[in-house]
This record gives sequence, structure tokens and C-alpha cells, in this order.
Amino acid sequence: MTELAVETIGLVKRYGMLTALDQVHLQAPAGQIYALLGPNGAGKTTLLSILTTLLPPTSGSARILGYDVVRDASEVRRRIGVTFQEMVLDPLLTGRETLDFHGRLYRLPASVRRQRIAELVELVQLTDAIDRPVKSYSGGMKRRLELARGLMTDPQVLVLDEPTQGLDPQNRVNIWSYVRDLNRRRGMSILLTTHAMDEAEALADLVGIIDHGRLIVTGRPSDLIASLGSDVIRVRGSGDFQHLATVAGTVDGVSRVETDPAGGLALIYTDNGSRRLPAVLNTISNNGFAIEDVTLARPSLGDVFLHYTGTALRD
Amino acid sequence: MYATYVIWTRHMRKFVQQTEELVGLALQSVLWVVLFGVGMRGMISDVGGSDYMSFILPGIIALSALGGAVGGGMVLLDERLRGIVKEYLAAPIPRLSILLGSAASTATKALLQATLMLIVGLLMGARLAINPFGWIGALILLAIFAIGFSGLALGVAAVSRSIAGYHGMIFLFNLPLLFASNALYPLEVLPGWMRAIVLINPATYLIDAVRALAFGVDATLPLWASGLVLAIFAAASMAFALALFRRSLRG
Ligand SMILES: Nc1ncnc2c1ncn2[C@@H]1O[C@H](COP(=O)(O)OP(=O)(O)OP(=O)(O)O)[C@@H](O)[C@H]1O
Ligand SMILES: [Mg+2]
Repeated sequence: MTELAVETIGLVKRYGMLTALDQVHLQAPAGQIYALLGPNGAGKTTLLSILTTLLPPTSGSARILGYDVVRDASEVRRRIGVTFQEMVLDPLLTGRETLDFHGRLYRLPASVRRQRIAELVELVQLTDAIDRPVKSYSGGMKRRLELARGLMTDPQVLVLDEPTQGLDPQNRVNIWSYVRDLNRRRGMSILLTTHAMDEAEALADLVGIIDHGRLIVTGRPSDLIASLGSDVIRVRGSGDFQHLATVAGTVDGVSRVETDPAGGLALIYTDNGSRRLPAVLNTISNNGFAIEDVTLARPSLGDVFLHYTGTALRD
Repeated sequence: MYATYVIWTRHMRKFVQQTEELVGLALQSVLWVVLFGVGMRGMISDVGGSDYMSFILPGIIALSALGGAVGGGMVLLDERLRGIVKEYLAAPIPRLSILLGSAASTATKALLQATLMLIVGLLMGARLAINPFGWIGALILLAIFAIGFSGLALGVAAVSRSIAGYHGMIFLFNLPLLFASNALYPLEVLPGWMRAIVLINPATYLIDAVRALAFGVDATLPLWASGLVLAIFAAASMAFALALFRRSLRG
């Protein structure tokens, strides 16, 4: 059996009447990147808060590297590095002080702190800014500093809550490359959340789709995508989606039709997209559906999301 | 606890970096002493056998420690609302060390402020007892007192949802602490019912002990009793803060 970096069993969290997590069974093997993909309010942050011992579960259990997050909280805390969804930096401290203070909280000796800071500053490319107060940093620099802080203690498991939220494309790609590097070079186990499917596709060995507090499906991104069929015709437009689904379903070679009327989107899965496209378009436009835009593609994680949750993932 | 020390150094680092806070605190101390000294000395020349400056200084020092405790609670509240405490909460350190680190930095600031006030007071004619052990004893009691009020302020800060809510709650017990104490008038002149109320207030014990230890006035209350009351108060209020802080983390 492979070692698990993260495991939850029947995890439930309620805030009063609201069930934020509903019987979550999650298994993230050590040494891999696991991405929790879900829309706003899905329960991602709640799940990470429980895993990082900030919040006790209502019922069920969770373990990090075999240590229970409630009973062995201090063992868990010693082994994880975290970045939170919101930026939690003290604006008055410099970057170096921020990292040094973090290392001291974990009782790292001064020599180790100095060496780690030197390495990490290099890694996240903050060499020029490290002795400036954090209040002078841009959003991307703050994120990179937070990532460095999470790495100060050389954690076995790194937990990142929406690490690229609000960053420009260049900073996003930078963060992706650090994350990939940490995983490939050091074998670090990484659990991250995102509501961007390109992020999950770009980084994750395993993806778990979470919506309304439930972990709906887990798998390798490529397997999840392959399970949908070979090609998908994405149709945007307006009209009677239910009718569209019925008529398109009768076209030769169409295996399945999924619609999201609220998003004005229909996904038509076929065995061979380019061959079936004319027949499909013909059928649906003959039936009074106003087509705005058509794309033909391999299915994406976004289509997986729609398939399992019944609504498109919007960000 | 090591983590308490680390958190204390972080607070102090920020404190010395913030020139405005430093200067503000210093000016405030000087102003308090000068205003009370100049304003009241003309009116009242001598209270309970000591000059007015020596009489009023312990009270001013105690009250400014209260102000410091309120500020310490503000810092915790601010760190809570902005999520900065999460860094502490995810670290392998006891919850209590977060509160103690904050209380210790409040006590440190109170001691610095007290020293400054004593110097200004001396320049304005207060007469200190020639007894360094007494001075040290007084400062130790002041530190314990500051930790006690930090506990109350931190407890309120742990459960407040907003800055306005925090100040509202703090105001509720700040005002009585000033007037229902022996800070402005000697214990003996108070009517019996008022004296009963004043004796519930920990500030009364601090002020009485500081008068005795640092200014050589005869203590109204036994010194050991004052020390005991202050120690119990500090322990109880830190327990109160820890209980509320834990409760706020249950989610
Ligand atoms: N402290 C709290 N008290 C009450 N309800 C809460 C609390 N924290 C979160 N919730 C609710 O629980 C649900 C899950 O929230 P959570 O923050 O875990 O979602 P999320 O997936 O992280 O969303 P986002 O992408 O917006 O960060 C939401 O409906 C949210 O309103
Ligand atoms: Mg979230």
C-alpha cells in the first residue's frame, strides 16, 4: 500500500444549520500533487482548515501522514507548510523578518534559518525586495513570500489554498513552476485548492471535484477526461435546451448530451467530432435553437465538472 | 515557553519600528503627569501625608497600563480579523503562548511607560522612597497587573466581531476601573459602600502597593495581600482569555 499524505474518512463540518462538508472521503497519496477543484463556497477552505488543525471537524476523521488532525495536532503541525487563501502577512515586517520569525516559531536554529532564507528567496525571486517592508510588495510578491514562508520549515506536506487567486498570468505560471519543482525535485506532497480548471490540469496528478461540500469524483485528470468520450462539441446559444438535448441525442455517433441552460451551454459528446459536427449543427439549428458559437475539442476538466455536478464551473 | 518569547520579540520589533506609536506613548505619559501635576497641585497640596504628585503618580501609571492592555487587545483583534493569527494557529505552539506573548509585550510597554512617568514625576517634585528593592517590587507588581488587564482585553478581543464592538465592550469596564479605585482619592475618605466596590478593583491593590513600595507611604492594605490579589487576578484573567480564545476557534 502506498503511504497517504492526506486521508479523510466521513469528514463532516457544519456551521450551525449549514453543512459545509458532507461525508468527505479523500485520499491523497504521498509524493503527488492533489488538486481540489470546486466553485466558490464548495467547502475547499473549510476542508483545508480542518486538515491544518485550525478547525475541529463536526464528525469523521482526518489524518496527515497517518497523524490524526485532532488527537496528534502538534505532530501534524510540525510536518505541514501552509499558505492561506487570503494574504496573511504583517505589513510592517520586512520579507526577511517574516521568514525568520516563522522559522523561530518552529525552533529552527539560526544557521538553518539563514540558509533556508537564502535558498527560498532565490527560488521565489525576491532577492531585491527581501529587506523591504511587506507593505511595499505587489500582490504577486506577497504570494511568493507566503509560499516561501510555507516552505521555511521544509514541510513534508504542503497545503496551498488557492495559491494563484488574483495573480496575473505571469505570476500564476511562476507559482505553477515552483509547485511542480518542489514536487518533482524534493518529492514533496502537495494539496492545493483551485477554482481554475487550467490550474488543476496543469499541475495535478490527482484531481478531486468538490461541490456543495461533497467530494463528487476523484481521479487522474486524463482518466476523468477520457471517461467522457473522445470529442466534445461545445455549443453556446439560446433556445430550448431540453429539446436540443433530445434531438441531438438522436444523431449518429452522439453518445451523450449535457446542458447548462443557465450558462447557455450544451456539450455534445461524440465518437468523432469533426465527422459528426455538420449533422449535429444541422439538427439543432433546424429545431429553432439560435447558435452563437461552436467549438470542437477534446473534453476538458471543465466538462468533467459539468458532467458530475450538472452546472458549469464559473470563476 | 519559547514561543511566548518569540511572539514577544515580534511585538517588540514592531513597537520599536513604529516611531509614531513610540513618540505617542512617550508624549502621552509626559502629558498625563504634567497635566495632573500642574493642574491639581495648585488645588491640593497634600493628601494623606504625602505630596500630591507622589499620591497621584501610582494611579496614573496604573491607568496608562490599562490603556496599554486595551491596545494589546486591539492588536490581537486586528490579527484575528486579518487572518494573521492563522500563522500561529497552524504552528506547533500552545494557544496560550500566543496570548502570553501579547500580554508580555503589553507589560513591557507598561514598564517603559512607568519608568518615564516616574522620571517626569520626580522632575516635578514627587518624592521617591530611597529603596531600590521597593522600586523593583513596584515594577514587578505593575507587570503582573498589566498582564491581568491584558488577559481581560485579550478575552474580549478573542470573541469580538469588529473593532467597534471591542471598544464598546472595553469601555464598559474601563471607566469604572478609573473612578471606582483609590487612584484619585485615598481609601480612608470613601464611604463604606464605595470602599467595598473599590476593594473589588485590582487597580486599588496595585496603587496601594506602589504607593507603599516606591513612595514610602504607609500601606492601607497589607502588601502580601495586594501581591496575592494581583497574582490571582492575572492568573484568572489569562485563564478567561484562553477559554474565550479556544471557544472562538471552534468554528
Ligand atoms: N465561519 C463560518 N461560519 C459560517 N459559515 C461558514 C464559515 N466559513 C465558511 N462558511 C460557509 O461554508 C461554506 C463553505 O465555505 P468555504 O470557505 O469552505 O468554501 P470555499 O470552497 O473555500 O469557497 P471559495 O472558493 O469562495 O474560497 C460556504 O457556504 C460558506 O459560506
Ligand atoms: Mg476558500
